Amino acid sequence: MQLKRKASTSIGASLAAATAGLLGQSPGRAIAQELAPWEYDTAILLYSESDNRVRDVSLNLDARKEVREEAFLNLKLAIDTLTGASPSGAAPANTVQTFTTPSGGSTFDIAAGEQVLDPSFLDTRTALAANYDFPLGRFTRFDLGLSLSDEYDYSHSGVNMKLDRDFDNRNTTFTFGLALANDSIDPVGGAPIGLAPMTATGGNKQGDQSKDVTDILLGVTQVLNRHSLVQFNVSLSESDGYQTDPYKILSVVDPVTGNPVIAPPLNGLPYLYRYENRPDTRDKQSIYGLYKRDIGGNVFDVSYRYMTDDWDVDSHTIDLHYRWNLESGSYLQPHLRFYSQTAAGFYHSVLFNGTPLPDFASADYRLSEFDGLTLGIKFGRETRRGEMSGRLEIYQQTGSASPGSQVGSLQSFDLNPGLEAIIAQFSYKFGG
Amino acid sequence: MLKRILPAAAALAALALPSAPGAEIPAALDPVDGKVIWVDFWASWCGPCRRSFPWMNQMLDRYGDQGLQIIGVNVDKDRGLADEFLAATPARFDLRFDPAGALAERFGVEAMPNSFLLDAEGNVIAEHYGFRYEDADEYEAAIVAALGAANRGR
Amino acid sequence: MRKGKGLLALLAVGALGAAAAGCSGLGVQPWDRDVLARDDMQLVSDPVEAALDEHIYFSKEASSGGQGFGGGGCGCN
Repeated sequence: MQLKRKASTSIGASLAAATAGLLGQSPGRAIAQELAPWEYDTAILLYSESDNRVRDVSLNLDARKEVREEAFLNLKLAIDTLTGASPSGAAPANTVQTFTTPSGGSTFDIAAGEQVLDPSFLDTRTALAANYDFPLGRFTRFDLGLSLSDEYDYSHSGVNMKLDRDFDNRNTTFTFGLALANDSIDPVGGAPIGLAPMTATGGNKQGDQSKDVTDILLGVTQVLNRHSLVQFNVSLSESDGYQTDPYKILSVVDPVTGNPVIAPPLNGLPYLYRYENRPDTRDKQSIYGLYKRDIGGNVFDVSYRYMTDDWDVDSHTIDLHYRWNLESGSYLQPHLRFYSQTAAGFYHSVLFNGTPLPDFASADYRLSEFDGLTLGIKFGRETRRGEMSGRLEIYQQTGSASPGSQVGSLQSFDLNPGLEAIIAQFSYKFGG
Repeated sequence: MLKRILPAAAALAALALPSAPGAEIPAALDPVDGKVIWVDFWASWCGPCRRSFPWMNQMLDRYGDQGLQIIGVNVDKDRGLADEFLAATPARFDLRFDPAGALAERFGVEAMPNSFLLDAEGNVIAEHYGFRYEDADEYEAAIVAALGAANRGR
Repeated sequence: MRKGKGLLALLAVGALGAAAAGCSGLGVQPWDRDVLARDDMQLVSDPVEAALDEHIYFSKEASSGGQGFGGGGCGCN
């Protein structure tokens, strides 16, 4: 059980008790129930990719209140504003390329030799979550929650629960978690028919889509000794419904020259691009382990996650932090994260003309084979009412194109250029 | 369910020591002379402990003259942290300091805070884990019952 | 049943078994939890930051979750 500094509150309580004693009040509830007051955690985050790609500004507010003894209400609000351009999945070419915007209302050109970025990426997302966590007997805690989010073309609603049970003088804790979500996808212009050609007027589209996601988590936390503990989790996730990204396409190129292929007649665009198509289910499993250790007042932690799914993606994540607690309540925390994933079975950097169309295909770099590296530093300082902190990180992805895709003229282009992003966050915790 | 890790008389003798062996406080015994003794193990890092102190002060105010003695045993390894806690949340009851946890171990402490209600011989009448406002009336009732039995004489 | 699922089930059982074995020797006395009670020693010492990172990596990579759930869904992956 953690103790937060609340000097003024306890002096108040002590005075109240002392006064009650002096007044000789009769037995009963003379001491006030001093439940923990509101505690707030606010943060503003900037995520910015190089080359005029995606930029996200995120505002976050978390509030926590003890509403009944040992039972807490947690409320979260997050507002994200997304701007910038995102890779559409089409490959660069030695010629000007023309694409249709998602609404189908206009087209835009990409210069020869340039990476294809879809510029129409303005969106605001609002997310709300509420959780109530409370004890069930001496050794069990239960957490029940609701989550909602909304943006122009996507909305989410979900419920979640978590059960924690302590054993062995609270040295061992078993955790069971379950989350159910229903997401509605209402793409601008409609969801495209999978693998259908992109047309100048935004044809080949159908209506709204949805998907259901079920997440299960089983975990055990074990205290090793006075200075360290470990956590081990197994997670399963099943997603049923529309998994495709409605705005992503694939270039169709000649298998020898690598050049774009002329679009069919009446298509309206010079070259042929096909909308991507993903399976309508996705099963993921992951195992996760965390080791956290106090070293002379400083804290080191390392975690590892292995994920595998039925899209053939396998990933490894290693995350390390070292929190160096300085005097006067400040700290410095460097951070290192290594990430590596294999490509989804249906990831193709380009499609080849003349080859039979696969059932599923995507050129989304997020399903490609790549490595990610994050390097960051965080500085925090206690303030009179709480804590102030800032962190700065760089995140770099280096990816590979799908095997055999760099044919002909494509050899002079990077079909999976990766990305570089800066993450900057400022936080202020107060109250309590 | 109540443990007897420490024989009753030895419990009283251990409590009479103001702090664990090796501490800087001289070994003069502090009297453990209550008819009923509430022993509470606490620490600066324990959240509910902060809530229990005003209540324990109140119990002492109400029942001290009927023979209730309260002894708060601190298990902080850093005495400075205990002092900081006491500056913000004062105790009118007796204190002991057990940084090595020897007394906690001998009493078989299973939670923080952990309180033991002892009779004048050092027998454990009741044991409570944690501190909750909701249970305060129950704790008080146990004290009142124990005092009643003690004051009716043997 | 996929090979992957079987492997994970085995690992899960192994881990829980290891934890049960841990009950016999590992741990700390209730009065010795001073270090473990510190904010910076909690499993998630900064929930807001953890959620922000989870959102970033969920949007930019094919994996999510692990320590907690995979986040509240968005139109970003």
